[in-house]
Amino acid sequence: MEPNKVKSIRAWILLSGLFFLGCSPPEVREKRIVIWHWMTDRQPAFQELAERYQAQRGIQVDFQLYAPSEAYSQKVRAAAQGGNLPDIFGVLSEKRDFASLIKAGYILDLTPYMEEENFAWRNRFFPQALAVNKFSPDNTYGVNPGIYAVPIDMVAIAMVYNKNLLRKLGFNPSQPPQSFEEFLNLGRKIREEKLQGLVSGWGELWLIYCFAQNYAFNIMGKEKVLATIRGEVPYTDSAWIEVLRLFEEMKNSGIITNKVVSMVNKTAEQIFANEKAVFAFNGSWCVNVYKGMNPDLDYGIMLPPRISNRFPLLVWGGAGSSFMVNAHSPYREEAVKFLKWLTALEQQSYLVRKTNNLPAIKECREDLPQVLVDFSRLLEKSTHPNSWDVWELPLVNETLARGIQAIVLGKKTPQAVAQEVQRVKERELAKKSN
Amino acid sequence: MEINYRLKKYTFTTIIHLFLLVVAVSCIYPLLWMVFSSFKTQQTIFTNLSLIPERFRFENYYLVLTQENFGRYFLNSIFYTGSVVFSIIIIASLAGYAFSRLNFPGKNLIFIIFIGAMMIPTPGNFVPLYVLLNKLHLRNTPLGYILCMISGGLPLSIFLFKTFLDKMPQELEDIARIDGCSKLRIWWNIALPFAKPILGVVAIFNTLNVWNEYLLALVVFDSKHLMPLQRALVVFRGEYLTNYPLLMAALTITTLPVIVIYLLFQEYIVRGIVLK
Repeated sequence: MEPNKVKSIRAWILLSGLFFLGCSPPEVREKRIVIWHWMTDRQPAFQELAERYQAQRGIQVDFQLYAPSEAYSQKVRAAAQGGNLPDIFGVLSEKRDFASLIKAGYILDLTPYMEEENFAWRNRFFPQALAVNKFSPDNTYGVNPGIYAVPIDMVAIAMVYNKNLLRKLGFNPSQPPQSFEEFLNLGRKIREEKLQGLVSGWGELWLIYCFAQNYAFNIMGKEKVLATIRGEVPYTDSAWIEVLRLFEEMKNSGIITNKVVSMVNKTAEQIFANEKAVFAFNGSWCVNVYKGMNPDLDYGIMLPPRISNRFPLLVWGGAGSSFMVNAHSPYREEAVKFLKWLTALEQQSYLVRKTNNLPAIKECREDLPQVLVDFSRLLEKSTHPNSWDVWELPLVNETLARGIQAIVLGKKTPQAVAQEVQRVKERELAKKSN
Repeated sequence: MEINYRLKKYTFTTIIHLFLLVVAVSCIYPLLWMVFSSFKTQQTIFTNLSLIPERFRFENYYLVLTQENFGRYFLNSIFYTGSVVFSIIIIASLAGYAFSRLNFPGKNLIFIIFIGAMMIPTPGNFVPLYVLLNKLHLRNTPLGYILCMISGGLPLSIFLFKTFLDKMPQELEDIARIDGCSKLRIWWNIALPFAKPILGVVAIFNTLNVWNEYLLALVVFDSKHLMPLQRALVVFRGEYLTNYPLLMAALTITTLPVIVIYLLFQEYIVRGIVLK
């Protein structure tokens, strides 16, 4: 045989060998609970809790961090397809995606465990925290009723105000504006002082939608909002136009400026932390953020000022981070036991101290710093789309939020936006029924 | 007349230089901000808006290098980048040579398929790639990741080599053949040296691509010990709170090798882009 041919045959054998060496045999996993999550800032606390659990119960727990959250969602989706989901994981998307994973059989129904010992585990949690993980008997997702995830913390979204700036404007810092009229009057003074009024990440559309919905609850009541989502009340209803008009009034009074519609929440947080804005519309995670940016910031928590006394003003609250158990995991019983341990008072208190997030369990309230206590009080006046059995079509939400941006910029009237949203709603509903 | 001409020339040159200066500053400023912010504290990043910090905190670099297996991730990234770029250069130059200089049935169709593959963004392939790697037991292995990265980088690289080698004079190949060179020998001794400028371009493009890649690694790897350098960066980016000084220090360290590679290949890259 020619030397060149011999060389090339050798090269092929070597390459093929390398290829097959690279193929690992199927995994054989030792007994340990594997948890996938995306919460970068909670990883050190989770690791510490994993060590404590091993010391107490002798079972190894491996918290595996996959961030950012969008990439994490891709990984969970791919792992579900490949049958490689870990023992415990989180689902980071809307409730209908959560529902589709349950229907595909990937997520364990935790109701029997929650109901053990006279509902002992279930009774630990704030009802709002469980509501987002629960499917009621008449849910529209087609999921068997039950509780499918364990909340480990919660979020409430409300308004924060800078006490020093409020004092500078001649107001009592312990009495932020309660009514919308007071709020608008403050806007004029803010403009005179050349400060920024309300800042928020309204460039990220969901925060506008959230703010608008707070006022929709106040103006027309929760039932009518849900009826709109079901398609029974049109967005051209006078109550919705009133909601949209509020944005025009806030702009005219100086409470908000054009900048807010393109602002990302990180920028809004920076402006508020640097004491350049009087108000911010933000979630309870801001406690940790402001602490990092400006530890001396003196601020308080408030509900968005009410426009009407007819219906309660509800804020979004309850949906935080939750963990699900893999229904096919060989260690699912151990996984449930670990989650019970993780949501016990001692572990929740530790998580609150380390992460400054709202706890999911009621007993933990005493351990909270004052700002978090104030945020947790708002939970009584909160609701969350993931706790409803109906959901608005994504394109409708987007059109509404973009319409509000256009109102603030003075490009569209509230009536025009309402008509546009209704058109999209009708079109999407027609598509859905086909 | 002469003075007028000179005045015009100087004015034109000054405007061009000013314009280029503005462009250069706008390109360099973010890098400078990154470097100087890496010496600040979390609080001073938000409160002290001047570029240069009052006190240089070198301990940020110490913290980065000692946290989260930074060294391990760094070595992983060097290994992945080296293997992928080397493999792409060999495979793409061979394929580019074949598409350019050889005649075989279905040549154009296969080339169009390769070009078509350039249009598919990698994130769109994540789920099928994951399922495929899982079936081959290549998930959570360096080989699985390297093969995916090679396949992702090949279409553009083959296209670049092919279009460049199309310009290689036929006479060069004929002379080599008369001297008794095989096809493989012509590729090694004639085509590759001829394609040196494009080799630089392919090397830098793919180095940047692999060095900055993270999403595929996140999907393919379960074990964090196999993760590339970008994994270390996300640790400093919290869900709600980002540790900017440490993130900037980590970014500065991460950027250095890319700058070194760019400086090494600078001549080839410029020639490659101009000649292409």
